[in-house]
Amino acid sequence: MRDTLRTALRVEALLWRRSTVQRVATPLLLGLIPLASVGITALARSGAVAGPGAAKLADYATGPLATTHLAVCGQVLAVALLGAGGFACAAAFGQPLADGRVGALFGLATPRGTLALARSFVLLGWAAACAVLAVGITLALSGAVTAASGAPFGLDAWAAAGRALGAGLLAAGLALPFAAVATVTRSPLATVGVLIGLVAFTQLIVVVGAGAWFPYAVPSLWTGTGGPQAAATVSPVALGLTAGVAPVAIVAVVHQWRRLTDV
Amino acid sequence: MTALMLDDVRHSFRGRAAALAGLSLRVEPGQVVAMIGLNGAGKTTALRVLTGRLRPASGTARVLGQDPALLDVAAARRFGHVVGAPLVASELTVTENLRVAALLHGLPDADVAAASAAAVEALDVGPWSGTRAQSLSQGNAQRLGIACAVVHRPTALVLDEPTSALDPRGVVLVRELVRSLADGGAAVLVSSHHLDEVARVADRVVVVHEGRVVGELEPGGTDLEHRFFAMVLAADSTVTTSTEVVA
Repeated sequence: MRDTLRTALRVEALLWRRSTVQRVATPLLLGLIPLASVGITALARSGAVAGPGAAKLADYATGPLATTHLAVCGQVLAVALLGAGGFACAAAFGQPLADGRVGALFGLATPRGTLALARSFVLLGWAAACAVLAVGITLALSGAVTAASGAPFGLDAWAAAGRALGAGLLAAGLALPFAAVATVTRSPLATVGVLIGLVAFTQLIVVVGAGAWFPYAVPSLWTGTGGPQAAATVSPVALGLTAGVAPVAIVAVVHQWRRLTDV
Repeated sequence: MTALMLDDVRHSFRGRAAALAGLSLRVEPGQVVAMIGLNGAGKTTALRVLTGRLRPASGTARVLGQDPALLDVAAARRFGHVVGAPLVASELTVTENLRVAALLHGLPDADVAAASAAAVEALDVGPWSGTRAQSLSQGNAQRLGIACAVVHRPTALVLDEPTSALDPRGVVLVRELVRSLADGGAAVLVSSHHLDEVARVADRVVVVHEGRVVGELEPGGTDLEHRFFAMVLAADSTVTTSTEVVA
């Protein structure tokens, strides 16, 4: 089992490194998230936005500069990694089922369940690495901006960075159920449709005030997207439940791939 | 032990007539068996059952004595197939695909390079070794798919239309490969529409019609096409007569 898992991880890592989705998504995540974090904060503090836009940006217009950069980073990561991870699962699990390539994975010395496990680990590892690097780049960018402006870079900024990283890792794990969705639908487009529907449903859950217990709302609320009061309602138990989604999804998709038929 | 076996396999897809209606066949070690039939006869469905990709409604499938959907690692290391899309990733080069296939088929690291090189030579894809699979011509892509299926020198091999996109040179290469594997003791089941090619490579030719084997033809001779159509017509008339008797 250990040898076949090692083989599957090598193969899946190579396939993911070469995939078009990875090649497009990685630079977008690592470029846009840090730029958005610093850019939105700068825009909010520039006074250039008036009206409803200014009200939306009001939370970022005051407070310690570096802390705000990293709070925005966490909020963007919570959504961006769920989206990117969902697309990744749609491509990696749904496309081979849609075009029939999965048929070649039958009767191999490396079992399909092991390949699905390795594929899940690779996607999770990639998304987690993107979260670490995006927070790291944002930290470096924020450090440069605060140093240039003479603003302090205090402990609260490091705490915000930790929360941003936590939200990113949670969002990465929340994407894994879309591997199971892709396996059921056998369609990458249908999987993306479910992803979009879930994001809309999450908004509804937040509007009715139940977001603190809905895993797909937890990372965003925890990083302050709904304001400090909403962030305070997210309990450690809710964070634990959210973190538990990924292992359950992995077990489910491995079971699905072991039992695949009619491909 | 029979290497490849289907016994009284039956299956229907929702809303359609029976795709397999009691199909049975056996391939012994060292044999090349060709399965021929009209479009929709059930050849590919039978091969999907034999490769574990489709659980039949009833009947038995065996690869090296095991249920193909539940092959253990030892049996899987001796099995290869190309039915539909091959074990090829379009983003990888020819060499990378062969190495990946060798690893997934269970070859140890130390043997991967040599096995890949041997497969490159057997299918003559060396000139494209650094080319990504997505850039290959259809014929070379088919050669690569077969190379990936045999890189571990399987003792049971299933190929669906292996020469459908090949030029005459490719056809000869695949024929030589199939014969060399069988001469080495492998059981090979090939589905094909190329009757002249089948006549050259097969030890036995089974005719599949309306989801079952309706007979066998001698592979030799020049009139295989004529004998094939005669057997299919005879099978049709038998079915028609039975229906009339029942009515």
